[in-house]
Amino acid sequence: MIFLEVLTIPKDDAIAFTFFTGYMAMLAASIFFFFERSRVDGKWKLSLLVSGLITFIAAVHYYYMRDYYLATGENPTALRYIDWTLTVPLMCVEFYLLTKAAGAKIGLLWKLIFASVWMLVAGYIGEAFNPEGGSTSHSVLWGVLSTIGYIYILYTAWFGEVAKLAEASNSDVVKKGVRTLAWFVLVGWAIYPIGYMCMPGGWLNVAFGLGSQNVDLFYNIADAINKIGFGLVVYNIAITSSENLKTA
Amino acid sequence: MTRAIFVFIASVLLLLPFILNEGGIPISYQMIICTPFLLLLGIPHGAIDNILYLRNNPIKNGKFIGVYLVLVGLNIGLWVILPGVAYIMFLLLSAYHFGQSQFSHYFNKQPVIYKVLYLFWGVSIISGLVYLNVEEIQQIMSQHKEFAAFYSLHQENHMFYIFLISTICTFLLMIFLTAKKYLSLETLLMEMLVLTLIIACFYLMPLLIGFTLYFVTLHSFKVLREEYRFLNSERVVNSISNFIIMVTPFTLFSIAGIGLLFGLIYLNILSLSYGYCLLIVISSITLPHVFVMNSFYNLLFRRNFYKGHT
Repeated sequence: MIFLEVLTIPKDDAIAFTFFTGYMAMLAASIFFFFERSRVDGKWKLSLLVSGLITFIAAVHYYYMRDYYLATGENPTALRYIDWTLTVPLMCVEFYLLTKAAGAKIGLLWKLIFASVWMLVAGYIGEAFNPEGGSTSHSVLWGVLSTIGYIYILYTAWFGEVAKLAEASNSDVVKKGVRTLAWFVLVGWAIYPIGYMCMPGGWLNVAFGLGSQNVDLFYNIADAINKIGFGLVVYNIAITSSENLKTA
Repeated sequence: MTRAIFVFIASVLLLLPFILNEGGIPISYQMIICTPFLLLLGIPHGAIDNILYLRNNPIKNGKFIGVYLVLVGLNIGLWVILPGVAYIMFLLLSAYHFGQSQFSHYFNKQPVIYKVLYLFWGVSIISGLVYLNVEEIQQIMSQHKEFAAFYSLHQENHMFYIFLISTICTFLLMIFLTAKKYLSLETLLMEMLVLTLIIACFYLMPLLIGFTLYFVTLHSFKVLREEYRFLNSERVVNSISNFIIMVTPFTLFSIAGIGLLFGLIYLNILSLSYGYCLLIVISSITLPHVFVMNSFYNLLFRRNFYKGHT
């Protein structure tokens, strides 16, 4: 009986719908990446494992977040950021692994991890410690601080070390793949601030009346696009590169 | 993505939250915020027109400056006799120039269809700026009698149709050029994103701040960078400090000229409003600059400059 109560989804609740869809999509993507890992060349196995871990960690968190949301009707902010604290640095690991063959140093990985943690910690303070009723200045300050981390990652992916290493890799597959991931950072990651600005005091909340429930709607959509999409790009690089090796 | 686009996106992301938080910013404050950027980055991008033109045309520096000044004089004359025509000409030339600098690095020649794209792109952003800030513009213009001649040009419904048609034409042209493989799919997506961001910026930001952000990052910074890289490849300058020294004389001269005109207005020797005077000055500098830059881009295309210099 309790089980049925927890799983009841209101027909008009798009957020609950995306929590469930997100959970299943992440789980399905994880299974796909783990199974496909056996089909790719040895040097890509770790990349696919990381892709699978990203979606699997997200699936577990989505399992808890959907119940939390249905039980309380509130944003599962803490669970959300715990998920991101684990998965976003893993996305940075993907950049490192892709460019490692071209000479990426461990320092690149740490810089990307630092920037992603900076971005998340500032975002968490902005969201979780928002004063009662919402404060625009609080939301703006921490939002901008978080954006600095994002801009660093964006620069690294488009012009910085990652882009240069991809260019030096002499592999069209890696070049194209890294560029696609850079597009994910530019467009896909930009969906998150839209959700952030829906919280009480956020600009979209104040100017357009978008309620705080939309925070999760945008986050769920962004997570599905970025985590699964990111993994699929890595998968595509791995499988194409492995097939090229076989035919060579 | 070019570095100019990156700087634009980063600036929008960092500044927009503060500006939205501030709400309406009076035009006087906007001028205080924007003037240093316009003077230090806007003016220098046109301050070496003589050097750039002379690389492509065998004429003497004195003759070039003479022709330059005659064009400036003719333009001022047009502003006195037919201000409406001068104003429209200024907007159209600026539109073409903005479009040309936005797309220059994608091409290696300039057939008519590219020029049409330059014009539509520029008209789209200028009409977007006016349409999306029409109340602010009309409020500023209503304060000075000289602007009465342009009041009818800024009617909201006219601007809406110009904005709509030029934007649709820009998108269609970009799609057509992509279908014909003159632009890559990635370029199409990037330029669509940038145009959307510029328009969003004009909608969300106050008039002068929105324009300055576009003008300084996407236009001036990009052109300055192209000028520097070209002169560096030609061994005319060998460092950024050399380049800064090169752009400094005419930048200071222009700033001093504007200062002098404002002084004359302040002393009631020149009976114009500051805004109208600035509009004539900018228009008069723009006219020869557009022709010089057109010649400069033709030179870059002939030298295959953009191969490896994007």
